[in-house]
Amino acid sequence: MAPANAVFEVRGLGKTYGAGPSAVHALKGVDLDLFAGELVVLLGASGSGKSTLLNLLGGLDLPSAGRLTYRGWDLAGADEAGLTRYRRDVVGFVFQFYNLIPSLTARENVALITEIARDPMTPEEALRLVGLEARMDHFPAQLSGGEQQRVAIARAIAKRPQVLLCDEPTGALDLKTGMVVLEAIERINRELGTLTAIITHNAVIADMADRVLHLSDGRLDREHRNVRRAEVGALAW
Amino acid sequence: MNHLDLKLLRDLRSLKSQVIAVALVMACGLAMMIMTRSLIRSLDAARDDYYARHRFGHVFASLQRAPLEVAERLAAIPGVAAVEPGVARPVTLDLPGRLEPASGLIRSLPDRREPRLGRLFVRAGRLPDAQGGLEVAVSEAFAEANGLRPGAWISALLNGRRVELRVSGVALSPEYVFEAPPGAALPDNRTFGVFWMRETELAEVFNLKGAFDTVALALGPGADERAVIAETDRVLAPWGGRGAYGRGDHPSDTRVADEISVLRGLSFGFPLVFLSVAAFMTNAVLGRQIALQREQIAILKAFGFSDRAVALHFVKFAMVIVLLGAVLGAVGGWLLGSKLVIMYHLFFRFPALDFLPAWDALGAALAASALAALAGALGVVRRVVRLTPAEAMRPEPPENFRPSPLEKLGLARRAGVSVRMALRNLSRRPWRAALTAMALALATGILVVPNAFRDGIAHVLDFQWDALQRQTAIVAFNQEAAPRALADVRQLPGVTAAEAFRSVPVELSAGARRRRMAVQGIAAGARLQRVLGENGRVLSAPSHGLLLSKVLGESLGVSAGDTVIMRVLEGGRAESAVRVAGFSEDFAGIAAQMELEALNRLVGDGDRVSGAFVTVASRSWPEFLRAVKETPAASRVVIKEAMRRSFRETTAQSIGLIQTIYLVFATTVAFGIVYNSASISLSERQRELASLRVLGFGRGEVAGVLVAELVLLALVALPAGLVIGSGFAKAILTAVNTETVRLPLVLTASNYAFAATVVATATVFSLWFVCRKLDRLDLVGVLKARD
Repeated sequence: MAPANAVFEVRGLGKTYGAGPSAVHALKGVDLDLFAGELVVLLGASGSGKSTLLNLLGGLDLPSAGRLTYRGWDLAGADEAGLTRYRRDVVGFVFQFYNLIPSLTARENVALITEIARDPMTPEEALRLVGLEARMDHFPAQLSGGEQQRVAIARAIAKRPQVLLCDEPTGALDLKTGMVVLEAIERINRELGTLTAIITHNAVIADMADRVLHLSDGRLDREHRNVRRAEVGALAW
Repeated sequence: MNHLDLKLLRDLRSLKSQVIAVALVMACGLAMMIMTRSLIRSLDAARDDYYARHRFGHVFASLQRAPLEVAERLAAIPGVAAVEPGVARPVTLDLPGRLEPASGLIRSLPDRREPRLGRLFVRAGRLPDAQGGLEVAVSEAFAEANGLRPGAWISALLNGRRVELRVSGVALSPEYVFEAPPGAALPDNRTFGVFWMRETELAEVFNLKGAFDTVALALGPGADERAVIAETDRVLAPWGGRGAYGRGDHPSDTRVADEISVLRGLSFGFPLVFLSVAAFMTNAVLGRQIALQREQIAILKAFGFSDRAVALHFVKFAMVIVLLGAVLGAVGGWLLGSKLVIMYHLFFRFPALDFLPAWDALGAALAASALAALAGALGVVRRVVRLTPAEAMRPEPPENFRPSPLEKLGLARRAGVSVRMALRNLSRRPWRAALTAMALALATGILVVPNAFRDGIAHVLDFQWDALQRQTAIVAFNQEAAPRALADVRQLPGVTAAEAFRSVPVELSAGARRRRMAVQGIAAGARLQRVLGENGRVLSAPSHGLLLSKVLGESLGVSAGDTVIMRVLEGGRAESAVRVAGFSEDFAGIAAQMELEALNRLVGDGDRVSGAFVTVASRSWPEFLRAVKETPAASRVVIKEAMRRSFRETTAQSIGLIQTIYLVFATTVAFGIVYNSASISLSERQRELASLRVLGFGRGEVAGVLVAELVLLALVALPAGLVIGSGFAKAILTAVNTETVRLPLVLTASNYAFAATVVATATVFSLWFVCRKLDRLDLVGVLKARD
């Protein structure tokens, strides 16, 4: 039985791509609870299943086996329309490669999402939260990698999501800009109380988390809780 | 505007040259559709309005002569609402300052009332005065061609008497919307005109007081035209009736109807081809967009945009192109239509021929192109919907390449890397390759059509006036004469040869099918007027039996050896069964020929001739013309060169204009297709080509990959395109050919060479354009971005 305040309840979660002899078992029975306001880091090597887990949590894909609920909402059995509503109302995503719409400015990229959200902040407010108020009318091509990633974060949090899912948010960035991005994520988690999950293969980042989950070969290998969350500036790379 | 639409606008802007290419192709199809539909509407409206206001009759007949009481019997036929009898007689004119004689038809106008049927429209001046004074109104086409204005004087031979006539005005009649000499397929407004004179004056000149020789009948609602025609024939038979006919056989009305049916053919065939091409291009552009925007689509879905919203986004992309194409097409069609409608003035004389844009056609066109674009976008949108967000976030797996089939056969062993890469790319996506080749083939194909029109016209010009007609002129007699009249013609100055002919109005029937026309008798062994069969074989007029033009044979449903019934429509009205001896090739109207003596035997009124074909020594030409003008027995001279010139200036010019428009369109489409294919090729290959550059390949070598691919496709597409184009040309010519003017399918090497050259040039230009983009490729940027 899961604790009463669990936001996500994951039981025996499995995901298989393909069928027959060429089938890939990306997740093999994961049990997990995630709680409101938590900052969780998922660590694991390439192919450990962490992106698959994140995709399932975010309603980007459906599991092949097991149970997955968000505040009692059965995501494993949801149809496409249900998943779309879930993604629209609940989740904010940050990806490794930013995935901004190149033809829209920073402000417009955020506005694209606030337009369909229920209770969004203004694009300007979101961009201010990530320290980009001066670069709002620049196109992605005119922004550095770190700035693009911060626009992506602003886009993700502008709708005040309950959950923020970040897939290798610093993977394509150098150390310094990576820190700026992580600071932005940490600030959102702290100030808005958003349940935040960060995927990384960089173990150092784990120190900023409340809880660290280690995945390997499609299973939850172990987890540990940090006594104290390290400040981003203090992370030792 | 929401931000998804803003993205759409920006995407469109960054793809503007491709968007414009697709929109232009679509616009070409739509412009043609709107242009032709508008012309149909304009002609239809002008005709209907004219016929109604000026009371164009429904049934017409000409006869030897009958007392006016006979007209009352015609009025009593059930179903007949109005009758207008009159006089129509040939006239020869001597125009000041003109060497060659002109001829025409002079018709009567009631003295003190408006005609009940066939009322005139006065363009300038007034109708002739009823108080005497030998005034005439002149038909507009003739007046324009000869610079005649009210107040001018013309010298005419009326019933063998020279008379000076004063032009009171310029007029139009619904009976002569298309004004051509009787039996001629083409107008010759310089040498043939229609004149109207008050009936008392005219009857006096021709000794026809209290009589008529032509009549028009109007039918009441629900009247049976066939029954009225049969009854009219019965009433007029004792008076030398030459057979009544309805509007369907009226020489002027059928020409207008034919033109409309030509336009109908054009309004369908060309747009269909162009819109299909546009649909294909839309599909290609959108398909590429989706491949490029996999991750953007995934992001939109990840953030909660529904499949519908994302699919709609791409449908809107297609619809913007449709809208752009529709606007360009509507404007283009409107402009071209309003220009072309002026050209119709060359052939058709209406009081007013206003350009009426067919906006309903715009609606249909818009729907058609939206459907075409949607058909093109459908598969693409399905891919969008199928893309799950998680899947789209992963980069596309490397495609599964294999040595191409050609390589397996060892054929490409000697080819360079670029050719091998091109071959593998093509065999990796055979459908894409086949569709691109298909588009290139279509581009080649539509280029064949306009020039097939041009070559058809050239063939007709040569055939009709060189192969068939070997004479310099045709001299027609006032009335049928004894064979010795031929001797008189031979005496005319400069005549080097003369051959007699006879033209007899007949009805040919085979079973239930019947046609009224003139059968021509030509002298045995005639050399000045030939009859040619298939492949230009000279046919000699048979001493027994008829030669029919192929179209007439089809119309009667007979083949060689069958028997047709020939009923003479004048004189003793002999009726005989005649064998069909063979079929002749002919490109204008319908024709039937037989040997002169055989014809005379069948008609049974002795040896008669209607005129003569003559050749004239060129140095004696002015004397010849002057002498003909002075010969009362000669009612009309048809000068071959004048007819040829008239054909060139009217029919050929109008078809030439349409041909030019289509040529411009076809070239635009060809360029559009090729450019689009090259752009998509570049965009798909950008990463790979940039990698090659980074690895040390030169610009030329890298461009070679693109060039090789497109050139390989073009090599396959060109021959296929020529075959397709020949099919298009055949289909479109079949659709536009009418009985009155037919263009043969003539496919020349120069036509093929032109089509191939345009597509090749378009290919080179597009490649040059795309290769310039290649030079500007941001090597680092392309490699860094995930594609």
